[in-house]
Amino acid sequence: MKVIQAFWLAILGLWANKFRVLSAMMGIVIGLFAVMVLISIAVGAKDMLMRQMGNLGAEQILVMPGRVLDDANGQKDLLSGLTSVPSTLTYEDAEAVRAVPGVERVVPQLETVANIDYGDTRVQGMIVGTTTGYAEVQHAAVAEGSFFAEEDQGKNVVVLGRNVHDGLLGITQQDGGGGEAAPGGEDKPWWQKWLSGLTAEASEPMLVGKTIMIGETEYSVAGVLEPNATLGSSTDNTVVMPIETALANTDMTYLNKMIVEADSLDVIDQVDGAVFSAIAAQHSEIDFSVVKQEQMLGAVGKVTTVLQVMLAGITATALLISGMGILNVMVMSVRERTREIGIRKALGATTFEILLQFFFETLLLCLVGGAIGIACGYAFIELWNANVTIFALSLPMWAVQLGLGVTAVIGGIFGVYPALKAARMKPSKALRFE
Amino acid sequence: MIQFQEVRKAFGKQDVLRGASLHVAPGEYVAIMGKSGSGKSTLLNILGAMEDADDGRYQLAGHYVHKMSARKRTALRNAEIGFVFQQFQLIPNLSVYQNVKLPLTYGRKKLGGKRGRVLKALEDVGLLEKKGQKPGRLSGGEKQRVAIARALVNEPSMLLADEPTGSLDESTTETIMALFDEVHARGTTIVMITHDPEVAARAERVVHLRNGVLE
Repeated sequence: MKVIQAFWLAILGLWANKFRVLSAMMGIVIGLFAVMVLISIAVGAKDMLMRQMGNLGAEQILVMPGRVLDDANGQKDLLSGLTSVPSTLTYEDAEAVRAVPGVERVVPQLETVANIDYGDTRVQGMIVGTTTGYAEVQHAAVAEGSFFAEEDQGKNVVVLGRNVHDGLLGITQQDGGGGEAAPGGEDKPWWQKWLSGLTAEASEPMLVGKTIMIGETEYSVAGVLEPNATLGSSTDNTVVMPIETALANTDMTYLNKMIVEADSLDVIDQVDGAVFSAIAAQHSEIDFSVVKQEQMLGAVGKVTTVLQVMLAGITATALLISGMGILNVMVMSVRERTREIGIRKALGATTFEILLQFFFETLLLCLVGGAIGIACGYAFIELWNANVTIFALSLPMWAVQLGLGVTAVIGGIFGVYPALKAARMKPSKALRFE
Repeated sequence: MIQFQEVRKAFGKQDVLRGASLHVAPGEYVAIMGKSGSGKSTLLNILGAMEDADDGRYQLAGHYVHKMSARKRTALRNAEIGFVFQQFQLIPNLSVYQNVKLPLTYGRKKLGGKRGRVLKALEDVGLLEKKGQKPGRLSGGEKQRVAIARALVNEPSMLLADEPTGSLDESTTETIMALFDEVHARGTTIVMITHDPEVAARAERVVHLRNGVLE
């Protein structure tokens, strides 16, 4: 009965102190909002990194120039060190790897930077000489036209990355919304127009079948890729051509890397060793590394762990700052009400009744303020995810529980403790409190 | 009603009450006078069970206050004493109605119809129409009438008033004292602390606090 009465007194107390409650609640709302947004950024960024790494496939093996140091367990550890040496990996190495039993696919990659011309327009792009498997390992979908075929090796055909394509057509990101976005644009609210300026999609491809120039050589555009990024290797600024064409038409000789895909995960260790042996047989020294995707994921895992620890630190700091704000507001609020506590005690309220009332007041304040803060956080995340395509924000339930829990605990301690102090005062003393 | 025997109270080395004794019969109207600093407030706090005496015996409505725990004193305060303070001591953010209802909220007495009691108490002091207002919008006299309504709402056996007219002008003082007369006429014991001889003269008996002793 007393609990129910204290609850109603708490509601009455909150209602009676509306302005004080609003200012206190504002502190809690802002604190929780900041915490929710920070955590969602942290989790969203981590998820994106892990997803992109995961996209590469666990059965893949990366062959790269330089030596990666082994860790204490004899595993390749990309974070321990990588010697930087000029590549000596060749297309012949790739051919040798292709012959290794258990190898499903080999995707060698030659890379250089060149100017690309279309009419009077010139852009710079990264020329990638590779095989047909490139589109799959890069998860690069073709938006228009098609990817070149195996029989196109040696022919002057290219597939354009989205930025190169748009650049050659003189389409910028700002006006790239093109055909579909513009007509509806007038109806959009200001914030959507503003956000769409940041995240506009490119126009429909128009260069398929046309001829472009790279250096002095003409190439036919076979297709245009969808915008794409896989952990630091976006295809948007690339011009992809058959590797044999690249070897013939450019001064590129050595591979920047080679992605090898095993038949299955069951044979990944054998294939890993066999690939190493196959390449080593063609090299006078070991100036390359063979790293399993699993090991790369381990390295990324370490990076994301560091990222998580850092963001946990930021989260903790945000919680601490919002907690200090709540603490301040609660202490001041209760202190201002010391005389009220004295009056209530003089009229017959026990210390427990006072305490229970303030406990419920604090709890309600923190929960309502916290819920509004979380709702604002969710609204922000929804807005972001609907309009910004850099990466999706994600708010896990533990973040909500953590935020609300910390708020309730800090609010509870620093709302109830000064109330307890005041309630323990003799009413005669509390009544004289200024 | 009140048996106050040889009560002593000191703050540090300063003796405030030096064996004060007082007997108040049920229904009696007593005024306690004294100069500033004579210990009137200390006496009121002890009489109101808000502070402990260092020594002596205090019996109120058959209860030995000096032997009671803080919790029991709180319950006694609520059941038997109605307070009227010089500074009114109303909670500013609560309405007049909510202020008057407070003793019933914390009361252990089985008193039915709380709303009806509050409205009756407000009607008795002539402030029924202001029940929804906050104390900040009332005059000094109105605030004190609200305090009186609050003091009487749960039918205490004693009204304990500390300078009830100390913050009021002459005409308002008369209104408040007339209310006290009505309360007394209904049989409620009144103990009033004042330094105003005219106000004290309304009581049936006047005692003086001098050198920590009631005379």
